[in-house]
Amino acid sequence: MTTTTPRPAARTRTPEPGPRQPRVISFSQKLSRWDLKFSPYLYISPFFLMFAVVGLFPIGYTAVISFMDWDLVRNSGEFVGFDQYVWILSQPHFWTALRNTFSIFLLSSVPQLILAIFIAAVLDRHIRAKTFWRMSVLVPYVVAPIAVGLIFNAMFADQSGFINGILQAIGLSAVPWHVEPLWSHVAIATMVNYRWTGYNTLILLAAMQAVNRDYYEAATVDGAGPVRQFFAITMPSLKPTLIFVIITSTIGGLQIFDEPRVFDQFGRGGAAQQWLTITLYLYDIGWGQWNFGRAAAMAWILFVIILLIGLVNLLVTRSLVRDEGLHRELTRRQERQLAKTAKQNVKEDQR
Amino acid sequence: MSVGTSASLATVEEGIPTARERRKAGRTTRIRGSRPGFWVYAILGTVFLSAVFPLYWSFIIGSGDSTTLRKPFPWVPGGNFIDNALSVITNPAVNFWPALWNSIYSSFLIAAAVVITSTLAGWAFAKLRFLGGPALLVFVVATMAVPQQLGVVPLYILFSELGWTGQIGAIIIPALTSAFGVFWMTQYLRQAVPDELIEAARVDGASMIRTFWTVGVTAARPAAAMLFLFTFVGAWNNFFWPFIVLDRQNPTLPVALSLLQSNYFVDYSIVLAGVILATIPLLLLFIFAGKQLVSGIMAGAVKG
Amino acid sequence: MKSRALRRIGIIAGAATTTAIVLAGCTGGGTPTPTSSGDGDTNFEGVELTIATFNDFGYTDELLAEFTEETGITVVHNKAATSNDARANFFQKLGKTGLADVEGVEVDWFTEMMKYSDLVAPVPDDLKGRWLDWKEQAATDANGNLVAYGTDIGPQAICYRGDLFEAAGLPSDRAEVAELFPTWDAFFDVADEYVATTGKPFIDSANSVLQGLVNQLETAYEQPDGTIVATENPDIRAAYDTVVDRAIPIASYPGQWSDDWYASMAGGEFAAMLCPPWMHGIIAGEAPDVTGWDVADAFPEGGGNWGGSYLVVPANGANVEAAQLLADWLTSPETQIKAFNNAGTFPSQPEAQSSADLTGFVNDYFNGAPTGEIGINRANAITVATYKGEKYFQFHDALQNAITRVFDGLEDKETSWNTWVTEVSAF
Repeated sequence: MTTTTPRPAARTRTPEPGPRQPRVISFSQKLSRWDLKFSPYLYISPFFLMFAVVGLFPIGYTAVISFMDWDLVRNSGEFVGFDQYVWILSQPHFWTALRNTFSIFLLSSVPQLILAIFIAAVLDRHIRAKTFWRMSVLVPYVVAPIAVGLIFNAMFADQSGFINGILQAIGLSAVPWHVEPLWSHVAIATMVNYRWTGYNTLILLAAMQAVNRDYYEAATVDGAGPVRQFFAITMPSLKPTLIFVIITSTIGGLQIFDEPRVFDQFGRGGAAQQWLTITLYLYDIGWGQWNFGRAAAMAWILFVIILLIGLVNLLVTRSLVRDEGLHRELTRRQERQLAKTAKQNVKEDQR
Repeated sequence: MSVGTSASLATVEEGIPTARERRKAGRTTRIRGSRPGFWVYAILGTVFLSAVFPLYWSFIIGSGDSTTLRKPFPWVPGGNFIDNALSVITNPAVNFWPALWNSIYSSFLIAAAVVITSTLAGWAFAKLRFLGGPALLVFVVATMAVPQQLGVVPLYILFSELGWTGQIGAIIIPALTSAFGVFWMTQYLRQAVPDELIEAARVDGASMIRTFWTVGVTAARPAAAMLFLFTFVGAWNNFFWPFIVLDRQNPTLPVALSLLQSNYFVDYSIVLAGVILATIPLLLLFIFAGKQLVSGIMAGAVKG
Repeated sequence: MKSRALRRIGIIAGAATTTAIVLAGCTGGGTPTPTSSGDGDTNFEGVELTIATFNDFGYTDELLAEFTEETGITVVHNKAATSNDARANFFQKLGKTGLADVEGVEVDWFTEMMKYSDLVAPVPDDLKGRWLDWKEQAATDANGNLVAYGTDIGPQAICYRGDLFEAAGLPSDRAEVAELFPTWDAFFDVADEYVATTGKPFIDSANSVLQGLVNQLETAYEQPDGTIVATENPDIRAAYDTVVDRAIPIASYPGQWSDDWYASMAGGEFAAMLCPPWMHGIIAGEAPDVTGWDVADAFPEGGGNWGGSYLVVPANGANVEAAQLLADWLTSPETQIKAFNNAGTFPSQPEAQSSADLTGFVNDYFNGAPTGEIGINRANAITVATYKGEKYFQFHDALQNAITRVFDGLEDKETSWNTWVTEVSAF
């Protein structure tokens, strides 16, 4: 549906006749080209400089000690190659933890995202007392973990818990939250969703705010209802943010640690490892058994898992969300061509 | 509804009224169809009630006494909140006012630094083309996949070598950058800033930095506000690293308040009164950050 | 826009300045080195020490001020909320910088510390014999060095609900109840009777019984020379069997400190508990409205210890000698009695047992029971100090999990045992 204003045949003309002026590249033009080529590196350097110091060092350290039998106190160890990795992969607890992690991840991420998108869409509307409604969704995220832990323990306790009390009052049997693996996952996923839905909602809301309102006006004029507008305008415009939310939810979801930790008084994932997640297992091996080499190996195994799942999710998201091409994805050459043409057009207009 | 791929610098969308045309037609405040009705507010009300419940619960327990936690939930506040809050503030083990100040300014510095570095880097990754850009972005995102639980060990070694343990700088420095922040600003700016605006500015002769200033910083405001808020809250509630690296005379608020639990028998009414006290500054910040969630911040910036 | 830009620049400048100031911040004033006066006594005047504890050791500011008055050393008291936090902090910094001059170590992670006994300063020989011999023995490393100063112990007795006992037809008088529990068999028989009569659980948790049984063994999971005998030790198997067969049917919960457990304490669900002195405060705090609690001067097979802590002096501290002075002072019988009065931490020093403060101590909440005297008697009835190697708590936690699995119905007795065996063979 492109319409370029038809240009005269002048476009296909060869370069204008006449004496060719020698091209003098002015200093400001030089500066401008230098600006274009090197300034991006300046923009990213604050981040990378700091990161190299305080971000890379821990990662490198973790990588190195994962190949060693490391003593935290004496800060030394002997090289054991892949022994730690092999040990972990041969532990039944590891595979149980993997199962638990995936289960909790799915139970938490999927409802969370759907709910976050829905609530963000509602908050995006022209409502009264906007700031009040919008900020209230973040309250679960900011309440101190100890309070959230106490509340959820009070709700999900097997005998004296609030939820079981209600269930029994209406005649159903109590749910064994701390005994059955699946129920423990449901409880933990509920805690996770509760804490993080508001967070994701605000991320999506900020992105929705950036969508040009004109599109919605035009669509309304065209007769599209709110639901149609949502799927045709909002979702495609949100694609980069959706990718962001899905990737960060994946990473976060596979690293869930705080909620399983406070789910019982011991923090080790249950007597039969019913809700032991990988990160919790990692923490127990590192800070519980003081075997940092093994814990480091597990961290890297988890890293690989996250990369794989993240990649899968990215591909799925990309294909699911139609990209309406609001922002062209052109090659460099096409863009340069476009810029050149644009400049010429402007010059021609000025003649 | 696809978008025209016109090569001109005209409006992005064909048929979308330009600003001038809109003004001619008479500005309408209707954005997307009908004014939100009952159901919208019903949904909002439900969300609000369930979101605010933990705060309310903490307040109820915090206004009771040591037995309130284990009794059936009273639903109405007891009368002790002021007393409990005062005992938190005056508890000698809890250095309340120094801890509060430490938390405020360290969280502020961290959030500000993260927003600044992330916006700069995000702008570059989103809108500038440079060698190694995509690869570096992937690298940044990948670093988020390394669990942080072990990070305390090498960080502590680093900071004790530098002799910075016990000082608030040890809290601030490791948190100044955030891969999450960079990724967030990148994706947001990718979506929120039309390329045409940049081209227009460049054609007008703006340097990269001016383009960034006029286009990028303006567009980034809602996202930057949210990033500031999230980072501030994360830094505020962080316990483990401050616990390890600071000493008890110079703590942050969560570390200080955790001392309320140092007993065989813990009086949770006091602990939760402390939780409420620690949450109030965050709620104040909500108001400021929330006002930055302004829609259409780039509206009218696309000129005909 | 301009003003906003200016504001931003202002914020950045302010932030940079503040950061610079913060980072350039001076470190604390250096601690003066002790001066030596001519007669060989070292004068520590002006030295500042830090001591790190958790929970509540009973070291109040007034108590520490007494020390300052005597020696001129000022003491800064760092507290951690829980033993777990203190443990993470301790091992993170042991052998490096950052530990306090005197560190509190709980018995739960004391055995892990013993692996690094060379990193803590040994206790001077003249102090040996100050503590109960099993307390000292646990703190003595393979080379015979005593490396820690004992603080408190947890000699167990039986706390019981006099009113519930009476309602079930059992005696409720302290002395009579004491006669009911000479052996574990007798204990369980009484329990069975109670459950049969009332249909309610007798004790709070099954794993408290496991703890009681294992702490009466000489060898548990490891031997002093390092061999692991956990799965072959018939005593461990016997303890497991006892708990599964006899303790689970009479217990409310598998383990303690859960939300349900706290709720049942407040509601007064069970009739008896194995309780060391530090449990008294918890019961009194959680169930202030319950009136029937009492303490019987008895424990199956005499006695057992549960809990207790030590103080250690890191060897690379700046003021090791002064720190040793502080640790010495704090763990002297007189000071321990004062700590007991402050926080109920029962002394581990035999000399303290003759103090009137202890022998005359009476606990009103527990129906006026002479808990001081009871503690003394139970402490003296402890005959065995279980050898706990560095992996003791890993083995023990796994065994507790095994019991919990049976209690919750996840696995039956044999399967759960086998799971435990497989699990611990990986250690």
